[in-house]
Amino acid sequence: MLELLPQAIGLIMTPEGLIALTFGTLLGIVLGALPGIGSTVAVAMILPFTLTMGQAPAILLLLAIYAGSVYGGSVSAILINTPGTPQSAATCLDGYPMAQRGEAGKALGWATQASVIGGLVSAVVLILAAPQLAAFALNFGPIETFALILLGLTCIVSVSEGSMRKGLIAGALGLFLATVGGDPITGETRFTFGQFPLIAGFDLLAVVIGVFAVSEVLIRLSGGDDGSASSVQFRGLVLPRLREWKGRLSGLSKSVLIGNVIGILPGTGAATSAFISYAEAKRSSPRRARFGQGEPDGVIASEAANNAVTGGALVPTMALGIPGDAVTAVMLATLTLHGVTPGIRLMADNPLLIAAIFTGFFIINLLLLPLGVLFGKMASPLLRIPEAWMLVLILMLSSLGVYFVRGNPFDLIVMAAAGIGGFLLRRQGYPMAPLVIGMVLGPTLEMSLRQGLIITNGSFATLFIGHPIAIGLLCLTLLALSLPLIRHYR
Amino acid sequence: MPRFPGLIHCLATVSVALGMSAPTMAADFPSKPVNIVVPFNAGGSHDLLMRAFAPAFAKALDGNVIVSNMAGGSGTVAASTLAHDTPDGYKLGYWSVTVSTIQPQIKDLPYGEDSWTPICSVAASPTLLFVNAKSPFHTIDEAVAAIKAQPGRYIYGSSGPGTITQLASVAAFSGLGVLKDVRHLPFQGSGPALQGMAAGTIQFYGDTELLMQGGDFRPLLTFSDTRLADLPDVPTAREAGIEPPLDQLYLWGGLFAPAGLAADKRDALSKACGAAVASPELQAFAERTRTVLHYRDAAAFDAFYRAQYSANAKLIDAAGL
Repeated sequence: MLELLPQAIGLIMTPEGLIALTFGTLLGIVLGALPGIGSTVAVAMILPFTLTMGQAPAILLLLAIYAGSVYGGSVSAILINTPGTPQSAATCLDGYPMAQRGEAGKALGWATQASVIGGLVSAVVLILAAPQLAAFALNFGPIETFALILLGLTCIVSVSEGSMRKGLIAGALGLFLATVGGDPITGETRFTFGQFPLIAGFDLLAVVIGVFAVSEVLIRLSGGDDGSASSVQFRGLVLPRLREWKGRLSGLSKSVLIGNVIGILPGTGAATSAFISYAEAKRSSPRRARFGQGEPDGVIASEAANNAVTGGALVPTMALGIPGDAVTAVMLATLTLHGVTPGIRLMADNPLLIAAIFTGFFIINLLLLPLGVLFGKMASPLLRIPEAWMLVLILMLSSLGVYFVRGNPFDLIVMAAAGIGGFLLRRQGYPMAPLVIGMVLGPTLEMSLRQGLIITNGSFATLFIGHPIAIGLLCLTLLALSLPLIRHYR
Repeated sequence: MPRFPGLIHCLATVSVALGMSAPTMAADFPSKPVNIVVPFNAGGSHDLLMRAFAPAFAKALDGNVIVSNMAGGSGTVAASTLAHDTPDGYKLGYWSVTVSTIQPQIKDLPYGEDSWTPICSVAASPTLLFVNAKSPFHTIDEAVAAIKAQPGRYIYGSSGPGTITQLASVAAFSGLGVLKDVRHLPFQGSGPALQGMAAGTIQFYGDTELLMQGGDFRPLLTFSDTRLADLPDVPTAREAGIEPPLDQLYLWGGLFAPAGLAADKRDALSKACGAAVASPELQAFAERTRTVLHYRDAAAFDAFYRAQYSANAKLIDAAGL
């Protein structure tokens, strides 16, 4: 891989390649910051424009959009308490309180540096060890995935501010919402109450935008104050100094590791990694008591992990031709369009193309820093528009984004209903993050458990036998649940 | 000269929309853009095919063609919506074998066999049954013998319940009389299923040649009428002893309009579709993406579609869906 570096750089340093990298990254940030346009939609939107480009610039443009959008989601999460993408839902938890305190620029600064470091490390891991890691990921079957998702569910405990009972109820509600639609094993429809549009289930993005953005607008309109009515002051991004990272580096490395591992594994993604990383930081950070009130460690944990997923997800995609998530699936389709067959021989048959893609991915993550600062400058006048207009703007952009995903008007109804439901629940003190965790993890939880039970012929007792990785994850889950109790009673 | 040309034009449009104007002239068709609905997300294989098809189709129609996506429910959300649309020829759906003949037979959906006017088929790729390259099975007979020796041990995968990938395995094992001795493990999409195959969680998988070539896999049989050019040593299902109609299974797709489309419009669309499929642009696209193009005109596609509907009913029955 490394010996091809000079040639690969030559392939990237063409006018087309450079435009793909810079323009793609900036556009990705903008699309990610727009509420409702997630990474998958952003990449699919750009795909038609790549058809006339060369192989390497086409893939690099999509990668730039991907990495940029994952980072961009944090901007709206911090500034307007609306995650631009579900991956940034955990960033709201501490990012928005920081912004309310007048530290919006600083919060974005932490998010930017954490994203860049997460992305860069994942790029290095990708370049150095993609084939080996992909081989490891093959050991990760349905039963291991089930154990990982159980561990992920413990995050509900960490993000339940105020009342544990209410947090668990919100989490259970999220899990239930995820079951509506088609049964993943039998294909039958369920919980649709005879309503045909429900056959496809609730769209995650529509619900996330509803419970965060629409309910936020309703709360501000009602003047019902949960302390968030004050408008956010933002005059551009403030990068933290090196010495301010002191004491935060071990947390950062843990988050990067979590993001990388989860990215490589099949079946989960950036949203899961951000929540798991946030929960881990809240458990182990020396400043854990301040989590939820605007603690930079929370922003760092979420953003370092979700950007580290991007490189991780490319590992199985490039090494095995098996897409790690919906975004990388679109990338493989693009390769097909350019006459390259994705598959296990991809790296062996196209070493130069792969080297260019990996090198370009590293450069994209470097570019996140200056382009993030630039976007901060571009976005700051937007926040000075009157609040009423701001609310209208949020609602309009959200509706457009949600409709764009599946072209289904029903999703707008879902968004509105989730907004009203979220508004009522938030007024009663129910946190919304657990609901999102439930909806993100629910489908994989059910699928992996039921797949596991097919493998063991329906036996729960033998589910984990012969699966040491799963048993290890199960022990971690028990530990995560019992540590707070032990700490409490000591 | 009429005093209110706008009003008259408006009334004419309304009367056409209400179906009151007697003979619609095919010469005027299309007078506005034709919309092709792809029932899956942008960026998928059906979406890409239609986006390559649309310019050639537009040229042949001498009009405009736009492609839109309406995803959800394995394609059934779009089909259910279009089924009750006006059959004016301006809204067409690109339905796969699954959307048009399988989903309506396994789910309670507001559309069925008679909801459509078939226009033309565009693509049809034969499916294959394959195993991992490291598998001990080199022929389908060896696999059947092993399954019979240890009933319930072997698992076949699919990209989801009611997909063509499940039906390919069902066709093979049902046709060879061992379906009750193998277990079915559905995955969420073909990516995770292929990973399950590489990891050894599942031992059999059925899909198109393109997908099979992505991994280290060994084909056991092909569900086509003749052996495949690239795989001359792989027997057809018929040669392996599988009786019709289970011996042929193609992943096909074609254009459909809501039932009741006027014959002249249908024929105009079908003819343009044929020209688009034959166009050098689409042939080049198919070459690059290894899509197997297969054009049938309206009459041939109608007969094929109905034959498939009843043939797949047998498969669905065998699969217990």
